[in-house]
Amino acid sequence: MSGSLLFQSLVLGILLGGLYALLAAGLTLYFGVMRVVMIAHAAFLVLAAYLAWDVHERFGVDPLLSLVVTVPLFFLAGVGFQRLLIARLRPASVTMMSVLLTFAVALVIEGALGFVYSGTQRRVQLSYSAASIEVLGAQVAVVKLIAFGLAAFSLLALYLLLTRSRFGQALRATIQHPQAARLIGIDTDRVAGYGFGLGLATAAIGGTALSLDSTIYPSLHWHWIGPLMAIIVVGGLGSIPGAAIAAMVLGIVQSLLQLPLGTTWAQTVFYLALFATLLVRPQGFFGGRLAQRF
Amino acid sequence: MNARTALRLGCLAGVSALLLTACSGGAAGGDDASDPITVGISLPLTGDFSEPGKGVQRGYEAWAAAVNATGGLLGRQVELRILDDQSNADRVVADYESLIAQDQVDLVFGPFSTRLVVPSARVAQEYEMLFVEPAGAAAEVFEQGFDNLFYAAPAIADDHYNHLAETIIAMPDGQRPQTAAYAAMDDPFAQGTAYGLKAKLEAAGIRTVVDEVYPPNTTDFSSIAAQIADSQADIVVGGTQYQDAVNLIVALRQLAYQPKLAAFSTAPTNPEFAEAIGGGTEGILSPTGYTPEAPYPSNVDFVQRYTAQFGNPPTEDEANAYTTGQVVAAAVQAVGCAEQGECQQRLIDWLRTNTVDTVVGPLSWDAQGRPQSAHLIQQYVDGGIRIVLPQDTAEAEFAYPKATW
Repeated sequence: MSGSLLFQSLVLGILLGGLYALLAAGLTLYFGVMRVVMIAHAAFLVLAAYLAWDVHERFGVDPLLSLVVTVPLFFLAGVGFQRLLIARLRPASVTMMSVLLTFAVALVIEGALGFVYSGTQRRVQLSYSAASIEVLGAQVAVVKLIAFGLAAFSLLALYLLLTRSRFGQALRATIQHPQAARLIGIDTDRVAGYGFGLGLATAAIGGTALSLDSTIYPSLHWHWIGPLMAIIVVGGLGSIPGAAIAAMVLGIVQSLLQLPLGTTWAQTVFYLALFATLLVRPQGFFGGRLAQRF
Repeated sequence: MNARTALRLGCLAGVSALLLTACSGGAAGGDDASDPITVGISLPLTGDFSEPGKGVQRGYEAWAAAVNATGGLLGRQVELRILDDQSNADRVVADYESLIAQDQVDLVFGPFSTRLVVPSARVAQEYEMLFVEPAGAAAEVFEQGFDNLFYAAPAIADDHYNHLAETIIAMPDGQRPQTAAYAAMDDPFAQGTAYGLKAKLEAAGIRTVVDEVYPPNTTDFSSIAAQIADSQADIVVGGTQYQDAVNLIVALRQLAYQPKLAAFSTAPTNPEFAEAIGGGTEGILSPTGYTPEAPYPSNVDFVQRYTAQFGNPPTEDEANAYTTGQVVAAAVQAVGCAEQGECQQRLIDWLRTNTVDTVVGPLSWDAQGRPQSAHLIQQYVDGGIRIVLPQDTAEAEFAYPKATW
């Protein structure tokens, strides 16, 4: 195995890890604000990818332009989803029941995609899909770089929003202690709704990024949800920086493990990491007190 | 529904069933010279394989129409009895049981795909019927110990690249590729094509530098592509279906990898392939079992008749079904019988030792029913896909090394 291959795989792993990080950030946000296990997160991701593909196919414009519509749309859908469906679950059993509810939503989205777009695999045809630039001997595909840039930019925006804005403070307060947050006058229901909307908005961005360089088909989301769930547990449930770091680490490890193990076995890294985390440090490696309570 | 209506409906159903059996019992079973020859077939007309299943149906219908228009078989008209097995392996067994035992069909033709061919061939074997099938190229079909089965296509998956292997091995020393990279989907057919070529090239001393297997539904090929690009293999071979080939080629191009030869199964024969990979198809190779342009005499006639009947030229599914008809018809003509019983063994014996001219070329079989030919090799030449190997049916010159992509 040559050094250049190792470096190339490392670069590919970083690019992949960036996308995982953005998606895992959204997934852990739902859990943080609502204690909701959002199985449908990846289904929304695939939905956004289909919308990007459709926009490109129908109007011939760059799929990135679909973000202008899908991000606000998914944010509103997230707020509506939380207020109309999640909020109706009994608080005592919300974590468990949300699995069932969002599982159903995932199936509905998958079925609807199959109904509207058929089961045929789709891929966005871009003039620059095969273009790449050379960085220190490694080839970096332009589409992967765009996807990584989108993910990095969104993560940074999310980080600034959560740490620098009043809304972010309210959201973090809601994550840390909902009761105390209510006592100091935070409308936790509204904050939770916005938090959910933010989570879905990450799915919109992630889906568009995904559509640039991957084949999509309605049942693709099952492929994503497993690794993402594993990432947020390893990172510590509810911890956004934890999810981002775990995503990056596991993305790189997966990419490197493909060299000796092959594609089939490299996928198991997520589940091995999940088992190891639950055995050694059930609250996750970067999670705080929140995860310890579960 | 109250009890009385239910009872009435039940009686009605019972009576209709009796009537139906009586009717079909009366129609079949005769070996009179004026009676039509009945052919029993079960096809996946609904369910997973419905698309290719319908293609096979069109091929069988085109064959029956062609035979009947030219005076029939042994002077008798041909009648197809086609049932829908819903792509279900249990259903296909029941279908062939009833076609052979109840309907007393004179001949049977095979269904579509390995998953259905194996159980239905077993039924035909129990009744000692000749079983020629249009699909089921995977090696396992021929490892079940069937002595009645014949595959009506040029080659099983492992032999698809034979013409290409011969051409590569025959290249002069300085020109011949030294190293090869293989990536194959974890699927008996796709893997069979790539590994068939791999075995032949390895035996000729062409070193395997990458050998990767990926699960179906893999969408991220960047890591496999990175290994192939890093190996700088002279040739790249993909045991692919469709989207995996598209994703792999795009990933290879992203890494600026330029092989001297690139061969992928199935995908390049798809009309959408060129657009899907966004150009750069020039020089890409693919094996194919059939082309409407093939110069075999019966093919010219088939393409003309088929196009008149269905409005567009046939594809591989239709051609393989038509070939099945041709193979059985040749045996029937030669032996002079078409009925259940001892006649079937004579048909089987005749096919074991003879060669049949079909729309996919002359076919002969080994003792397990493996056809002994190879697939044609197509290549993208000047933006269009052309047969380049073997040389006697070539429409264009085999280009090596390929243009950059």
